[in-house]
Amino acid sequence: MIDQPDARTLLEAMAATLTDTVMPELSGGAQHQARIVANLCRVVARDLADDPTETTAALAGLLGADGSLDDLAAELDQRLAGGELLGDAIPILLADAARRAEVAKPGYTDGLV
Amino acid sequence: MASSDQLAASLGELVGAEVHITGMASVGAQRGTFFIDIVDGADVTQAVAQVSASVLGSVPASAEAEMLRLAADAGVPVPDVFAVCDDLPGVGAPALVVSRIEGRTVPRHILRGLADDAAGDSLARQCGEAFARLHTIGEPQAPASLPRLSHAAYVDDLEAKLDALDHVRPAVRAGLAWLRANPVSDAPITLVHADFRNGNMIVDDDGLAAVLDWELAQVTDPMQDLAWMCLRTWRFGNDDRPCGGFGSLDALRDGYEVAGGTWRSDAFHWWTVARCAWWAIGLAGQAAAFTGGLTDAIMLAASGRRVPELEFDMLQQITAGPGD
Repeated sequence: MIDQPDARTLLEAMAATLTDTVMPELSGGAQHQARIVANLCRVVARDLADDPTETTAALAGLLGADGSLDDLAAELDQRLAGGELLGDAIPILLADAARRAEVAKPGYTDGLV
Repeated sequence: MASSDQLAASLGELVGAEVHITGMASVGAQRGTFFIDIVDGADVTQAVAQVSASVLGSVPASAEAEMLRLAADAGVPVPDVFAVCDDLPGVGAPALVVSRIEGRTVPRHILRGLADDAAGDSLARQCGEAFARLHTIGEPQAPASLPRLSHAAYVDDLEAKLDALDHVRPAVRAGLAWLRANPVSDAPITLVHADFRNGNMIVDDDGLAAVLDWELAQVTDPMQDLAWMCLRTWRFGNDDRPCGGFGSLDALRDGYEVAGGTWRSDAFHWWTVARCAWWAIGLAGQAAAFTGGLTDAIMLAASGRRVPELEFDMLQQITAGPGD
């Protein structure tokens, strides 16, 4: 069972409360920190909807191996350090970085992918 | 950090006059910066005291003072050095006292203060000129305490920092592999500021008034400086103005070349990739300090979620290739 409001809805409401109600009452460093926290609430809300399945599948194909995303990333890291796979890895890593950058900052990759 | 009374007394000993701390300019990631009045009889001189907490990798304050003097002699706008000490008695931290220069330092204030694109290009041209003058300071003249870094040594240093992180980052690893596989033309190494960008300069109504924060300086390929100034991170959303969010690349390059600098496009591209990797690793390191319990600062936690931006910029640059 999932209680309501769900996590994403709550995080978005937390961000809005910080931005609309709390921040105007603050100044200086405290206001800056509240802005950071509000932004992180929005990042986490998007993170909850993030789906790295495509990266996992692409890495499994590239490496010819199965495993969790963490395992595959560690394997790729080692192979890259050994001077292998660079050309084939870059498009996969670029697509993955673009997806994660959009979680962190929507619109960041606009016109660039 | 010592009490402010102790700090004022120690700074007073250093400059040989009474010192009043009048405010705090900023508490950066690297150090505290204080506004001070130096009172000598009836004379009051407004100054700035940079007092470092001990931070690994920073250049000694005495070397920073030496660079400021070299840069001033070369025609780079910098504050005057009043006093310096690598270990201020009673405080236990390096201290550097310099003249106070009026103007804007906050990036968004700098951007708002520019009337139009022509004013931004004028500032970019001045930055290019300042870089060219800085880069007339060759390896033999640069302070002996600064690292001398070839391209290969720079990548080795990045790899050591990447290996020290608590998580694998294959995107950054790929960037380092690309840097090794795509060496650039060699050029004489010079003094390089390495952190001259929108946020480390003072701008007044006449444009560039001072270049600040020399603690990352090194002796290496001068094109590093131009690339860092133009990183997307330092454009503050103004992506159509590559130089610091205010100027065109042409304006920066024009200022650099007119003042005698040699622009190398392959090196500009290489250093763009290298500094994206450097900053991705730096931000990941800030996040690691948070997850490792060394700090509870939310800002450093948030840094971890900025890493993908740098990874994206780096890989996008690799894919796009160098410009003309």
